[in-house]
Amino acid sequence: MAKKEIVVLTDVALITAIVQRGKADAIVKAAQEAGAQGASIHYSHGRGVRERLGILGLAVEAEKEVINIIVSRDQTDRIFEKIYLAGDFDTPGMGFMWVTPVEKAATFVPPDILEKFAQQDRRSPERRRRS
Amino acid sequence: MPQEIRFGDFVREITTQHEHLSYNHVTSTPKLDAEGQPIPLKAPPIQLRAIDAFRLIKPYIGTRLQDQVRAVVPLALYLMLFEIVILRTDVVDAEVIAAGLIAVILGLMLFMEGLRVGLMPFGEAMGTSLPTKAKLPVVLCIAFLLGIGVTFAEPAIGALKAAGQIVEVENAPYLYSLLNDWAEVMVLIVGIGVGAAAVLGTLRFLYSWSLKPLIYLTVIPTLALTFYIAQHPELSKMLGLAWDCGAVTTGPVTVPLVLSLGIGIAASAGKGGSSMSGFGIVTLASLFPILGVMGLAVYVEQAVTPAEIIASANSLSAATSGLAWYESTPWAEVIGGLRAIVPLVLFLMLVMHFVLREKLSQPRNIAYGILLCVIGMIVFNLGLSYGLSMLGNQTGSLVPAAFTTLEHVESSPLYHYRVGIIIALTFAWVLGFGATLAEPALNALGLTVENLTNGAFRKSLLMYAVSFGVGCGIALGVLKIVFNIPIVYLLLPGYLAALILTWFSSEEYVNVAWDSAGVTTGPVTVPLVLAMGLGFGDAVQAIEGFGILSMASIGPIISVMIVGLWINWKVARKHQRYDASLNTTALVGKATLNRKAV
Repeated sequence: MAKKEIVVLTDVALITAIVQRGKADAIVKAAQEAGAQGASIHYSHGRGVRERLGILGLAVEAEKEVINIIVSRDQTDRIFEKIYLAGDFDTPGMGFMWVTPVEKAATFVPPDILEKFAQQDRRSPERRRRS
Repeated sequence: MPQEIRFGDFVREITTQHEHLSYNHVTSTPKLDAEGQPIPLKAPPIQLRAIDAFRLIKPYIGTRLQDQVRAVVPLALYLMLFEIVILRTDVVDAEVIAAGLIAVILGLMLFMEGLRVGLMPFGEAMGTSLPTKAKLPVVLCIAFLLGIGVTFAEPAIGALKAAGQIVEVENAPYLYSLLNDWAEVMVLIVGIGVGAAAVLGTLRFLYSWSLKPLIYLTVIPTLALTFYIAQHPELSKMLGLAWDCGAVTTGPVTVPLVLSLGIGIAASAGKGGSSMSGFGIVTLASLFPILGVMGLAVYVEQAVTPAEIIASANSLSAATSGLAWYESTPWAEVIGGLRAIVPLVLFLMLVMHFVLREKLSQPRNIAYGILLCVIGMIVFNLGLSYGLSMLGNQTGSLVPAAFTTLEHVESSPLYHYRVGIIIALTFAWVLGFGATLAEPALNALGLTVENLTNGAFRKSLLMYAVSFGVGCGIALGVLKIVFNIPIVYLLLPGYLAALILTWFSSEEYVNVAWDSAGVTTGPVTVPLVLAMGLGFGDAVQAIEGFGILSMASIGPIISVMIVGLWINWKVARKHQRYDASLNTTALVGKATLNRKAV
């Protein structure tokens, strides 16, 4: 059996956003329109700001959705802003978001893209990145 | 001076609007006390500006308001437009009705939110920890009492009581007495029916019984009793009411609370997880009350004579003459709202305290939820009597003007007799179809069914099947009132057909179909249809206008099972074709092998 070659993606960042239950779909849609490939969402529940808001805390859902979006480094800021606006993060209790640098990632890369880069590499060997 | 800049970095510098702020400035570190020990931090409460508070509350209220507006407004508009365009009359007391509808929307919104925050945590906590702390008989006892409690808290029950004020005592003395003198007893009987259903449903979760035998064992006696009652001319007037009670019970309080208890018990007993575990309780909870109310009817017939009832009613009306039923003080609604919620909450509290010996996790939130529930119930009851019931009653009493002569409508009949009948039936069908499609519970059921059948039974298909069934049912109910058909002639064939279909259908579709009947009658549809039927009955001089809801329940059972059978047949045919194609290829393969061997 021949060894499989893994294509490693570099220049990757992870945007994580925690929002109230039920708000994730709209935010993911906004992120996709800004160029994100997709997102994974999982459920959790949070504590913190809700207890400090007093009676207004009732308007904040304790059940949360955690959105993970893998983006390329050049997209990061644009998508970060889009998520911020779509999720109304400037309102108290709406959520928290952050960006984590990612060392490397791997997934299915369409063969036509691989082909294109292989040709470019043949033309300019000095462009080849150290892996 | 850098020699090179990545163009990407350059673009970023000129496009983004990031203000950078060190998180160190935002967080705080604990201070040290005299011995050098850190003092535990207690986060100070956040002071919000008014604008921030508004922005926080706006989406919270907005989404919840929208849900109710979607359920109420289209229906109300449909009724009003029908009155204006087709019947060419004006809506009487339009201002009062509009205010009442607003009250219904607000009341439902508050009530639902209160249910979510205040009562559901109880149900979940009880479901998960009851079986570990109490023996099975105790658990079943609590399930039974819970069934009674939730029935009293069901918003639609109020509509049933209100409907009783319209019945003419001379025409149907027993019906009148059941809805007035015996109203509380009747609700209690319905509650006992729901409680018994909760017990049976829980047992079904535990021992994963099939639903079919339960349905046969419940429906056949119910039909037998119906047949017996139909032989008595006086008693038979109560049949419509009895069968309608079944549709009223399964509303927004009963279904989630009883279900969460049952599923919790099943899960902690380690028998949960079967895909159909959530179904069946709703079905039983709509069948048992029918039996109970019919039993009560027989008992009342033994206990009092019609003459006594008429006499007592007349003396009552003489004492409170000149008061129509919707002109009573708002205090009646306030007391009604309190009486609906408080006993249920007290019961849940007692169970929490004495059986579970648990403390509530967030007493403040629970208190807020219960307060919302009570306020919502009161506002909803007000809106019910001044909005939904009035509008339904009015439309119902005007629709017959399409085909008969009515005193209070000029130039009636408006249309040729047959055309008028068709218009009335179409009106009823569209009302049933539209109201059911808008029911949020149906959407949830549709999703569940799509998951259970791995997409063979699409959500939209289920929703249309159920709505179609309800539409046909309501149209049938209107027919029953127009031509004064005894309800037994509709119920017996309908349920017999349902039983035959049940015999042939697979377990999943039986569960879904029988439960869909209970899901479709929500807090908006029930009062509207009830009031409409009663107004309709008044206008065509029928004795009583009950029975439309029961028709609306049997419709979807039949339609969903037919669709289920059709889907099963399609799947089976697909498999057959697939197998057949496999067989032919196998044969061809064999043939080539044989040839090679030769």
